Amino acid sequence: MGKKIITRRDFLKVAAMTPFAGAWACSQKSVEKEKSAREIEESGKVKVVLIRDENALVSFKKPDPDVVQRMLDEAVSTLFDVKDPVEAWKGIIKPSDIVGIKSNVWRPIPTTREVEQAIKKRVMDAGVPEENIGIDDRRVKIHPVFQNATALINARPARTHHWSGMGGCIKNHIMFVPRASDYHGDSCADLAKLWTEYNLKDRTKLNILLMLNPLFHGIGPHHYSDKYVWEYKGILVSQDPVAVDSVGARILQAKRREFFGEDRPLQPPAKHIVLADTRHGLGVSNPDRIQLIRLGWKDEILI
Amino acid sequence: MKRLCWILICLFLIGGMSSMGACSNDQKVILGGLMPREINGWVAREKDELYDPETIFDYINGAGEVYRSYNFKQLLARRFSKEGQPDLVADLFEMTSSRDAFGVFTHDLEGDDAGVGRGSTYKGGLLSFWKGRFFVSLYAEEETEEAKKALFALSQKVASSIEEEGEKPDIVSFLPEEARVRKGVHYFHNHLILNYHFYVSDENILLLNQETEAALGTYREKNEKLYLLLVRYPEKSKTSQAYQSFTKVYMPDAKEAGIVQTEDEKWTASRVKDDILVIVFNAPSADFAKRMIEHVLKRID
Repeated sequence: MGKKIITRRDFLKVAAMTPFAGAWACSQKSVEKEKSAREIEESGKVKVVLIRDENALVSFKKPDPDVVQRMLDEAVSTLFDVKDPVEAWKGIIKPSDIVGIKSNVWRPIPTTREVEQAIKKRVMDAGVPEENIGIDDRRVKIHPVFQNATALINARPARTHHWSGMGGCIKNHIMFVPRASDYHGDSCADLAKLWTEYNLKDRTKLNILLMLNPLFHGIGPHHYSDKYVWEYKGILVSQDPVAVDSVGARILQAKRREFFGEDRPLQPPAKHIVLADTRHGLGVSNPDRIQLIRLGWKDEILI
Repeated sequence: MKRLCWILICLFLIGGMSSMGACSNDQKVILGGLMPREINGWVAREKDELYDPETIFDYINGAGEVYRSYNFKQLLARRFSKEGQPDLVADLFEMTSSRDAFGVFTHDLEGDDAGVGRGSTYKGGLLSFWKGRFFVSLYAEEETEEAKKALFALSQKVASSIEEEGEKPDIVSFLPEEARVRKGVHYFHNHLILNYHFYVSDENILLLNQETEAALGTYREKNEKLYLLLVRYPEKSKTSQAYQSFTKVYMPDAKEAGIVQTEDEKWTASRVKDDILVIVFNAPSADFAKRMIEHVLKRID
């Protein structure tokens, strides 16, 4: 039997009244129900921690290093249910590990040095010598630490993306592949494949989706305008890259609804997030199977 | 003898590479000549960058797919800087035809008319326009009043140095203007761009490719949006094939050929006229859909 072709009418069948992206997700679930066997425990939900702090930014797009460190510590401690953040980090990083901190240098909204250093500090506190830690984005393929990395920390800001709908943790590992354009087919539908193809799934110990100042809409070839950056002052943390992106996408979607005064689905829909779950089994995208823990500042939380 | 062969091969390769470099430099000069190196105190201090359909991803990542979808030939990027002001980034896309320059312009129509070139928009520090076979994007890394003025001044200079005017694709003129929403026209070739603007199917059921020309119009009828899609195929037989493919997948439950009520109680209708396939999506009634199609068919005549 051939692959079922999904059309607009499938979405209409599932949810005529829901936002398109949501309908897309629902449609995928119904179409690919058989494939939705999860690698997570039957009864368990995937944990995602959202932490926000009103003082996370000292100025536009500039994080406060101390506040960011505190936020990261609290989020990681909560995620692993351990009081001491260093102990939490020790749970995922061994002193013998070679650790690559996969950053993102996209000029308008980079991961930032403040965040990179906060992560590096805790990796060192876990016992990893500095020379065994690398921070990089575009040169990971030739960076000696990344070439030998036994553990990766995946940290990048959330933003809308011209071709995949959303740039998040799943997409951040694209720099490990020789030709990024090989994954552009069908709006980057199968991005999650690279996680297994390049042995990144097991090595990635933590996914940090920065929501400090996300981009919720883009224009032009560079898909950017300051006009569409908002100070959400949050950080999402999870071991599951799909769950963390799924939550991030919902927040971006909510912001778009608030800003435009109508449903403006991500364009194109970030279907690679749903497919990372239903087609590739990388993680969990279904909100019903995600335990979202909210910490800190609650104003305009949007989720 | 073997050594001589190697020397000849090396000379050939070196010659080839230097001529490629020279070609690239020539292109930089030609495209660069369409743009000033200084505007309102902003100066281009860095070297220009030239990208082709293979290297564009190094510059704008996945967004490069959009420009590839419109058969772009090359892109010249120039960065301007001024003390105490945000950088300005000028991207000059040379497309294969003015139709594609128009098409890529219609991909992102947000903003107000900037009054430059054959069509333009300005929003949030981004000014874009098309003229001739060029699509031009001028972008301030941060929007300040001074940067905005510089972008407008730069756009005028670039537009005036592009001599050709360029024509819009004629298929666009078949879209009725009545009830069409402002900036509700997109011109494109393939199904990836169709799905970007109006999702039809994950598979290419309309058999679109780089040789097909499509125009999508958005209309409003009593606060409801409906969409009119026209596709011209290179041959009539391909138009028929596309019609068969579309109706088979999208309206297998149609009670009447080429028209069906969809799950949202709206109507989708499709007809073929010579080499053009016409489809109306989201029409409020079957009669409305049929009337709209008839109206378009008359325009095509």
